[in-house]
Amino acid sequence: MNALEIRNLSKSYPGFRLENLNLTLPSGCILGLVGENGAGKSTTIKLILDIIRRDGGSITVLGRDNRENSPLLRQEIGVVLDEPGLPNCLNPLQIGRVMAGIFTNWDSGLYEQYLKQLDLPQNKAFGTFSRGMKMKLSIAVALAHHPKLLILDEPTSGLDPVVRDEVVELFIEFTREESHAVLISSHIVSDLEKLCDYIAFLHKGRLMLCEEKDLLLEEYGLVQCSAQALAELDPDAIKGRKTTPYGVQALVRREGIPAGMPVSPVSIEELFIFMAKEAV
Amino acid sequence: MMKALLLKEFYVASRTCRSFLLVIAVFFALSFFGRNSQFFFLYPLTMVGMIPVTLLSYDERDGWDKYSLTLPCTRAQLVSAKYLIGLIFGGVVFLLVELLLLIGLSMGGNFDFLSMSSALLLMGLLGPSILMPFVFKFGSEKGRIAYYFVLALLFAVIAFLIGMGFYEYLNGFSWLVIGAAVLLYLGSWRLSILFYEKREL
Repeated sequence: MNALEIRNLSKSYPGFRLENLNLTLPSGCILGLVGENGAGKSTTIKLILDIIRRDGGSITVLGRDNRENSPLLRQEIGVVLDEPGLPNCLNPLQIGRVMAGIFTNWDSGLYEQYLKQLDLPQNKAFGTFSRGMKMKLSIAVALAHHPKLLILDEPTSGLDPVVRDEVVELFIEFTREESHAVLISSHIVSDLEKLCDYIAFLHKGRLMLCEEKDLLLEEYGLVQCSAQALAELDPDAIKGRKTTPYGVQALVRREGIPAGMPVSPVSIEELFIFMAKEAV
Repeated sequence: MMKALLLKEFYVASRTCRSFLLVIAVFFALSFFGRNSQFFFLYPLTMVGMIPVTLLSYDERDGWDKYSLTLPCTRAQLVSAKYLIGLIFGGVVFLLVELLLLIGLSMGGNFDFLSMSSALLLMGLLGPSILMPFVFKFGSEKGRIAYYFVLALLFAVIAFLIGMGFYEYLNGFSWLVIGAAVLLYLGSWRLSILFYEKREL
């Protein structure tokens, strides 16, 4: 079963439009939603969670339309937002008591285990926590009710590398279970590269591509050559270019490049930057 | 679900609304020692009526307004938690006021208990009933202007009515006034749910 299926999703705001978005997240996988600020990542997440109304299209979460009894559906989803959103004056113990009454599957033992594992004090007010601690607590809350789907909106932004690594580890651990899936949005592409099975690029409200990460890395590469040499290549194979003091660096589809031409591997971050600049 | 949402409101209120307690205690003391001063009770009632609006501002500051929409509760439940916590805190203060009125009456106070109670109930529920739908529709930032405006207006009206000795006019209409106050609060509750269900955050 697919954990998430989005078909022809659209939503308009003054000055912004999300157009015909199609995404599929199979169970057991992690899908990374990459895009610059304002690309439509948070809008997509809000639409999935039925926080805002869609203009068109359909969203199926864990096999059900997301608007069909959405509170019940949200029992099976763990959410972490860029701004954690827990009350500043509550401590983790109080937050746990509140969440125990909200989630039917709340597991107090598991929650306490996460608090210990993530080194979070139980009696300190949430508002006094550092950004990293706040994010860790919000992840503990998202995981402690045994969700099947995790939806994470920029969960690693503003975190130091050590905390980021800890957090990424938790998500990897979560998807060891085959019925679990994660949708994670970020503009820190290096985190997604470590974590994701699938990558989707959003740019100015449009989906540029959505593919398996390993396929992407196999399919695309970088060539370094002169402008003249680049002009001789098949234009359809060139997906982006950048002029450097040493010539031209271009993102290419490997299959469209003559055999023997040196093509170096491309990172997901480079892939996104080249494609976003080309699409401007 | 409602129990959990109320627990959260209670935790936040117990941390953030402590100053309200002090003000309420001061006004109770004033009303106890003052002469002809039953209308001092209006101030604690008005203050406690504003607790749900204050809680909404804290929710926005903390980001709980957005986060709570990702939880498995309905928007109607989120709105209801605010109205119920208002009723709980308001109810406690109102009962205290009633107790003090009875004490005042037994000490030879010169007022009609029922008409005084109905006037106090109406004025206590008026502020939150007017403000809450604004705040649920526009958010507390924009609603803040309405907040101060309504608060100032209420206090001015209260002061004016005290001068007029208006509660004497309510003799005979007390049950009608109580009914109107309750209907006003319930109507405001329903309207807030409608507004919040349509709001995009």
